Amino acid sequence: MKDVYILAIESSCDETSMAIVKNGREIESFTVLSQMDVHAEFGGVVPEIASRMHTENITMVLEETLKKSNVKMEEISAIAVTYAPGLLGSLLVGVEFAKTLSLVYKKPLIAVNHTIGHIYANAIENTLEFPLLALVVSGGHTDLILMKGDYDFEILGSTLDDAIGECYDKVARVLGLKYPGGPNVDKLSLEGEDTYPLPKPVNDSTYNFSFSGLKSHVINLVHNETQRGNEIRKSDLAKSFQVTAIDELTRKVELALQNYEVKELIIAGGVSANRYLREEIKKVADRYQIKLSIPKIEYCTDNAAMIGAAAYPLYKQKKFASFDLNPKSQATIVDK
Amino acid sequence: MYTLFIDTHKDCIIIVLYQENQIIIKKEIETKQNHSNATMPVLVESLEQAGIDVQDIKEILVVNGPGSFTGVRIGVTIAKTLAYTLQIPIKTITSLLLKAVSFSHEEVNIIEKEKNGVFIGTFNQNNDLIKPYYYLKTSEYHKQEMDVEDIEIDYERVLQYMKTLEPINPHAVNPLYVKQIEVQNG
Repeated sequence: MKDVYILAIESSCDETSMAIVKNGREIESFTVLSQMDVHAEFGGVVPEIASRMHTENITMVLEETLKKSNVKMEEISAIAVTYAPGLLGSLLVGVEFAKTLSLVYKKPLIAVNHTIGHIYANAIENTLEFPLLALVVSGGHTDLILMKGDYDFEILGSTLDDAIGECYDKVARVLGLKYPGGPNVDKLSLEGEDTYPLPKPVNDSTYNFSFSGLKSHVINLVHNETQRGNEIRKSDLAKSFQVTAIDELTRKVELALQNYEVKELIIAGGVSANRYLREEIKKVADRYQIKLSIPKIEYCTDNAAMIGAAAYPLYKQKKFASFDLNPKSQATIVDK
Repeated sequence: MYTLFIDTHKDCIIIVLYQENQIIIKKEIETKQNHSNATMPVLVESLEQAGIDVQDIKEILVVNGPGSFTGVRIGVTIAKTLAYTLQIPIKTITSLLLKAVSFSHEEVNIIEKEKNGVFIGTFNQNNDLIKPYYYLKTSEYHKQEMDVEDIEIDYERVLQYMKTLEPINPHAVNPLYVKQIEVQNG
């Protein structure tokens, strides 16, 4: 079969990213323009500023992406773009840009769900072996998913309240850490010891998660200690929080591995860049002697390479989008 | 030679296609929500009606605001991407200058209303902007004698005026927002 080159575009939050992906698994060219420094001034992503910067930079990111590769636009098989979920104004810029490329170069347009993109980050330089168990952990998601084939998702469990990434960001804020909070909690915890007793999230036998109790406990603890004039050992608290939160993830993964025969375990989403999670999940995979896939760090955060990988099965199935494609701020992985 | 004009700064998508100096297609489509699902289909339909390919377009003209932030971004993103990929000249015109060039006048304040206020541009008889554009909330705005709001756009005059402008590097084509956003106000 002829090689398939997909030009992928991702602009769902504060990164303008493009990639040329060969056959859904080889990265021919990859660019990420992060706006993180700009948003850090405001303590978080400002949607209007994010949208403005996408519009400013988008043609330059294309130029950069094409420059890094020998693949010409004429050789591209399809244009893929994140259409949901994310910041609407940001998604919109990527979607209109992708439609224009589709029109000019007469290439099919593929609409990709951002969360599914995170899952397919594991298809980069790797062959997914089904059935597989996927743990999706990000600022918006904490899901355990069973996949029996490409785009065949069964959600075994999800968070009942906060997503784990959201919980990390709140804890970062109460510890006085800068945006982006999650990675900074991870970094700080390296210097600490697990000395603060924290409540374990609900110890049940479902595949669901809950993080709001843990989050509230950490916030209250900091407030109470501060009021009493006691000093918080920030790195220890970061470590104790991290151990409690991540152990809850690995415990549910183990439970699923006991009950489902799977060939591979994969981790996806921004929180999959967390060092402690990567270490702990590896121990679980070793214990169950199961193949483990964790994306390289650059494919864990928001990026277009994963969008190109996720577009490939849709390309093979000829599931193309039309010019009236509308971005959506919310979408689940099973509603397409 | 075909010239494509795109204006999405308000609740209406406007596409005009010129062949040399002649308007061959003019579409004004009202949209209820954002322009995302409609702009590209209207553009494609315009090309089909004219019986031309997108590659036949040799120049892009785009309204770069001020107006609806999202609306302007859609038009500008499509326009700069077309110009960049087709390697053709692109020129921008503001929503206020668009009105100013559509009629003969002495010094005039052009008013562009939006949901909560007005954008104002003061032009002389040659359509030179004589002070920077500014924005007033509805409560701060009091109509003056030289204020003009309702102008029917004359797309032939717009084309003639835009012939006098220099093309811009597509990378540098960006919306003009004028209005500050909340986080910038502190």
